[in-house]
Amino acid sequence: MAGDDDPTSLSSDWTFNNPNDLTNTSSNPIWDHHPTNSQNLGAFCDMNMQNNANASSSSLGFWKGNLVAPPRNLDMCWGPTDTAIKRGGMFLPPAASAMLPHSSSQFPADSGFIERAARLSSFSAGSFEDVINPFGNLHESSLSPYPSRRQVQPQDGFVGNGFKSASSEGSKEMARTVDYATNDGHQRIQGGSSFSGNNLPGETEFSGGGDENSNEGLGSKKRRSDQDTDYNHIKRSPQTPSEVTKNSNEGQQNGENNPNSVANANKSSGKHGKQVSHSSDAQKEEYIHVRARRGQATNSHSLAERVRREKISERMKFLQDLVPGCNKVTGKAVMLDEIINYVQSLQRQVEFLSMKLATVNPRMDFNLEGLLKKDIMESRFGPSGSLGADMAMPYTLNQSQMAIMQGGISGVGRSSDAVRRTVNSHLVSISGGGFKDPASQAPSTWDDELHNIVQMGLNPSTPISSQNLGSTPPGHLKAEP
Amino acid sequence: MHTSSKLTKEFTKKWVKGLQICCSSKKNMDVLERKKKIKLCADIALASAKNATTSWSIALISEAKKEGENEILVDNLLGPESPFKQQKTIPLMSACHKRVRSKKILKRSCSVGQRMKKMGPPKSNLAIYIAKTLVKKRTQVLQRLVPGGESMDEFSLIKEALDYILSLRVQVDVMRSLAHAAEVSNQSDPNVFG
Repeated sequence: MAGDDDPTSLSSDWTFNNPNDLTNTSSNPIWDHHPTNSQNLGAFCDMNMQNNANASSSSLGFWKGNLVAPPRNLDMCWGPTDTAIKRGGMFLPPAASAMLPHSSSQFPADSGFIERAARLSSFSAGSFEDVINPFGNLHESSLSPYPSRRQVQPQDGFVGNGFKSASSEGSKEMARTVDYATNDGHQRIQGGSSFSGNNLPGETEFSGGGDENSNEGLGSKKRRSDQDTDYNHIKRSPQTPSEVTKNSNEGQQNGENNPNSVANANKSSGKHGKQVSHSSDAQKEEYIHVRARRGQATNSHSLAERVRREKISERMKFLQDLVPGCNKVTGKAVMLDEIINYVQSLQRQVEFLSMKLATVNPRMDFNLEGLLKKDIMESRFGPSGSLGADMAMPYTLNQSQMAIMQGGISGVGRSSDAVRRTVNSHLVSISGGGFKDPASQAPSTWDDELHNIVQMGLNPSTPISSQNLGSTPPGHLKAEP
Repeated sequence: MHTSSKLTKEFTKKWVKGLQICCSSKKNMDVLERKKKIKLCADIALASAKNATTSWSIALISEAKKEGENEILVDNLLGPESPFKQQKTIPLMSACHKRVRSKKILKRSCSVGQRMKKMGPPKSNLAIYIAKTLVKKRTQVLQRLVPGGESMDEFSLIKEALDYILSLRVQVDVMRSLAHAAEVSNQSDPNVFG
């Protein structure tokens, strides 16, 4: 995503990649006025342009996210957008729209441009993270395990690669841009759905550039909303509704929200409620305008699910940081797989460690707690005195132990020897601060320990097991008096 | 990760406290019993260290409480806060579960209908369907792994899993260091347990 990293190249990108973009010159200053938006736009424009010279639908989907997110950007004056724009399915970027109102004629005929702009503006509004996610996911999951309905659509070109042009209809494109794919970027990008009333405010404004456009858009919107599109107002950002209204004002749609909300209300009231609560539970206080992609089921369920997946993909990002080795993993199923493996391994480690502790400390009276606490509090397992060096040990020890443990906890004397040998080798290799002597005498130390413990009769009632690393409890316990 | 260090401290304190309670109650235990107790204490300590902010911790505690003998331990360990929450959350969880289930049923019915409709490009459909199935299966597995995961929808499941992983890490670290310290002290000073 070169575009993401190159906000400043917005103007150049626009001019460069948008031969049809009449408004390049005019839009540039606009962009300047909205630096954030422009940045986003640039980023997205770049992407869009690369993917799709005349990307219409692709940017649409993306745009939707943008449009939704930055309500303030939607405040563009769609009114001025003229039919030319509409024809091209151009979407003035919300950010630009503010500036554009009076330069409607100059709006690029490229619908993709508009879409991109809308997206950028909306993205800049603040859901950049979400935007980024889709982008990341775009490349990652071309075949995303998302509901087929979304993917089946021809306009769903966005899969993974973002901005394929879904369709070339002007108003439809607009609708598409508004279409909010949920989690993955491609979903967002899918702008393929026919949009009837669900145009994002920007879109409505946009289509409203000319009355005809807006009328058309409205009509189509209404029709669509009745048919396909479902518009879930998921609370994303408090600004969005107001923005939406502002945008709609231009295109006579004050009600762009209204038809949308009406459509939504009709279709997804129940779900919406759930969605709202869900989203609020999700700690996201934004309105996500979700539009179904063209031909997709536009009932509230699918849209809600998409939004949910959007959130999920965000979370997956976090999880990627948590789970080691997940950075390159793409795709939900694989990520889930990694997560499952990691959780399982952690749980096994806990089991193993508890067993180890059970064997090491027969009475569980952990006199070491003070020691341990101190160490933990101070150094967080960092090197701290002798213990610090020793800390390095368990990590390797544990690995070998884990391997052995997993081989079978009921491991017996034989395994304990093997374990001990492994441990000893580790000891020798690590030979930390206080470990030098023990390490050198590693082989004997363990046995000595055992003997010592046995002889001390630490706890005659309970069997004594020394550092058998949890792998020899039964054997040793029985062996010792 | 200041939060994790806080969690670490909390967890350690509670764990050790639990262990002390444990061993004061029973003197003679075999290794497996001890291990269970240790693990139980660790789990409860971990869950309580979260102060019942996450649903997995609540689920974990409620599971532990189900066994009669653990209840005392749990109560002692937790103090007044969690048990109260547990009572509240049980109906919550069942309600959650029902809601999730009904949602799933709805989804299933809808998706079936949609799938029937969209037999257009079978290839992509099939691939998508396969991918979806994979994801479903894995989420099911994850649900089983994460305590209390059955009654969560996908999104919160992932959130919980995230949190759970963090806490598990903390738990593993603490246990590991304690075990190691025990070993070290065993080696250096065999009289420690004397």
